[in-house]
Amino acid sequence: MELKAIYECVLTGERDQIEGVIQRALSAGCRPADIINNALIRGMDEVGRKMKEGDMFVPEVLMAANTMKIGLQAVKPLMEGEETEAPGKIAIGTVSGDLHDIGKNLVVMMLEGAGFKVIDLGVDVSKDRFLQVIEEEKPDLIGLSALLTTTMKTMGETVQAIGGKVKTMIGGAPVTEDFADEIGASGYAPDAVTAVDLAKSLIF
Amino acid sequence: MWNRCSRSNESDHVSVQCKVLSDGQCARLYNAVLEVLERTGCEIFCPEAVELLKKAGCWTDGLRVRIPSHLVERAIGAAPSRVVLADRNGKRRLFLEGNNTYFGPGPTNPYFFDLQTGERRKVLKSDVYDVARLVEVLPNMDFAMSLACISDCTSGLADVHEVHAMLQNTTKPIVTWGYNAANMATIISMCETVAGSPEALQKNPFVVVYAEPTTPLRHSKEAVEILLYMSEKGLPQLYTPGVQGCATAPASMAGVLVVAAADNLAGLVINQLKREGAPYIAGGVTTNMDMKTMIHCYGSSPEFSLMHAALTDFLHYLQLPTWSTAGCADSKILDEQTAIEYTFSLHSAALSGANLVHDSGFLETGLSGSLEALVMADEIIGMSRNIVKGVRIDEESLAVDIIDKVGPGGNFLTEEHTFKNFKKEFWIPRDINRDIYRQWSDKGKTTYGDRLRARAKQMLQESVPKKLSDDVLQKLQVLVDEAEAAKV
Repeated sequence: MELKAIYECVLTGERDQIEGVIQRALSAGCRPADIINNALIRGMDEVGRKMKEGDMFVPEVLMAANTMKIGLQAVKPLMEGEETEAPGKIAIGTVSGDLHDIGKNLVVMMLEGAGFKVIDLGVDVSKDRFLQVIEEEKPDLIGLSALLTTTMKTMGETVQAIGGKVKTMIGGAPVTEDFADEIGASGYAPDAVTAVDLAKSLIF
Repeated sequence: MWNRCSRSNESDHVSVQCKVLSDGQCARLYNAVLEVLERTGCEIFCPEAVELLKKAGCWTDGLRVRIPSHLVERAIGAAPSRVVLADRNGKRRLFLEGNNTYFGPGPTNPYFFDLQTGERRKVLKSDVYDVARLVEVLPNMDFAMSLACISDCTSGLADVHEVHAMLQNTTKPIVTWGYNAANMATIISMCETVAGSPEALQKNPFVVVYAEPTTPLRHSKEAVEILLYMSEKGLPQLYTPGVQGCATAPASMAGVLVVAAADNLAGLVINQLKREGAPYIAGGVTTNMDMKTMIHCYGSSPEFSLMHAALTDFLHYLQLPTWSTAGCADSKILDEQTAIEYTFSLHSAALSGANLVHDSGFLETGLSGSLEALVMADEIIGMSRNIVKGVRIDEESLAVDIIDKVGPGGNFLTEEHTFKNFKKEFWIPRDINRDIYRQWSDKGKTTYGDRLRARAKQMLQESVPKKLSDDVLQKLQVLVDEAEAAKV
């Protein structure tokens, strides 16, 4: 009953309600791990499905992801001692010369919504900066974004510099599956929802 | 505490409209129409109407009736400037007033495109069931017409059977044609049965009857008898001449308008002489005859749309509810040409502010109907309405606070304001495609026509008619059977 209410909150993006609903669930004796796995994450899975079917629109998905994030923040501190399933750590940024970050920001929100730890490197990220982060943070995956056809070239150079150190996923309006193969990236996603699925498949 | 409104006009919102004729042009056109009716007059093949006109002060010579201007002016003054149509349950839905525009299919096409086989064949009663069920669920179809002159019934009773089919499958208001006053009496009895009583139907009418003069300047016995019958009943009547420049009217747009208005206003005079204040919807189909093929041009003629908009201006000037035409094509199949013809005519009609706009779903100059074309018309109307609604300018929509909050280089996707407004402010397509190439190709590289056919099938499957009571259904069947028996 309580878990269902949390799930519904995520689905409809009730940002102001989620904390109250989670508190009620905890008072009723729900385990934090159940809240995360069986309510919050299941809610976002359903959001992803609906988005693909065309039944949900981007602002609604973002509202849901935001709600999910608030929910996670409320439950995480209670998880000490319990086994937490952190699906992985991802560093992400737009490539050198590209300041367009709306798409990259969407992907960050969706990844966080799915429970990933995301290091957002922001915009205009040089190849050296990516290599430095790989060294220091040991991410499981690197995400690269480009909106301009002219910065796709830089994307290729960056992916080549990263080489086999860590898997890479790429995205952005002009980017295609073929281009990903061409430059040797590990994967390509056409939208933020698919990016979550791709990240899961590349990490596990 | 500060009052945030610094101006008295907090919300400033105007819809997008077009005007083809100035008031001065309307006045000149009106004088020409009055002159035609007074000088040339018209032929009226109904003795009762000729008698009424003679008594009122017209000059008559057999069938020929010349109408003095003051009678036309009196009829215009007597007719209501607005007509409200209800749904089948009596809820008032369509307000035919001002520039409110409502759309629906057309009537009397002999052919139909079979949705399953794609074949062009004779139109059947079952097609009218489908049209009505589709109209019921299409958000931009506001009223039903049969999109048929059905072939699978007793000769001379297609009109009765079509209304029988529509009443059972849609709750939206019905506009219908009719062969004669006897059939009309059956049709009105059916509607009164559904409404509960004649008075209930008169108070909240959900049926409008369509009759046509025989342009130019001729009024058949059948058409005029329907006018008289509906007037007596106090139910909404529309009278719609089909006027073709070069053929049934002069080769000028103004000439077409004069003939259309003269035929329309002659009908109004008869209708109002029978019963002052009877609801009357004026309009017509104004076009040109193609001088190569001799067809009556529909959406392929730009003047078709222009003259309809001009006639609407003129009727607004006279303060009469208006009837217009759009969403129809001369193209033989649903193709690129059809999309052009539908779009121009529908958008022009919406911009003109005509009240009732019929003929969506027509192909082949009104000779065939198509369900998938009806679904396309509905989506075009959706786009058009989102243009005609105009731009909302107020505190909330100017959103200066949100712009300040997001700041340079930020994005608005995650703002509450976006979440609340994106669907209200921006149109969302149904079958018009915005997929990126990969998504589109993954879904089978469909054309718009493919998607329209699939959508029409899906909508028909999901549209469950709201059933009339068994008692009403039985009474409707009795009325149909009686009409059948009278034909034998």
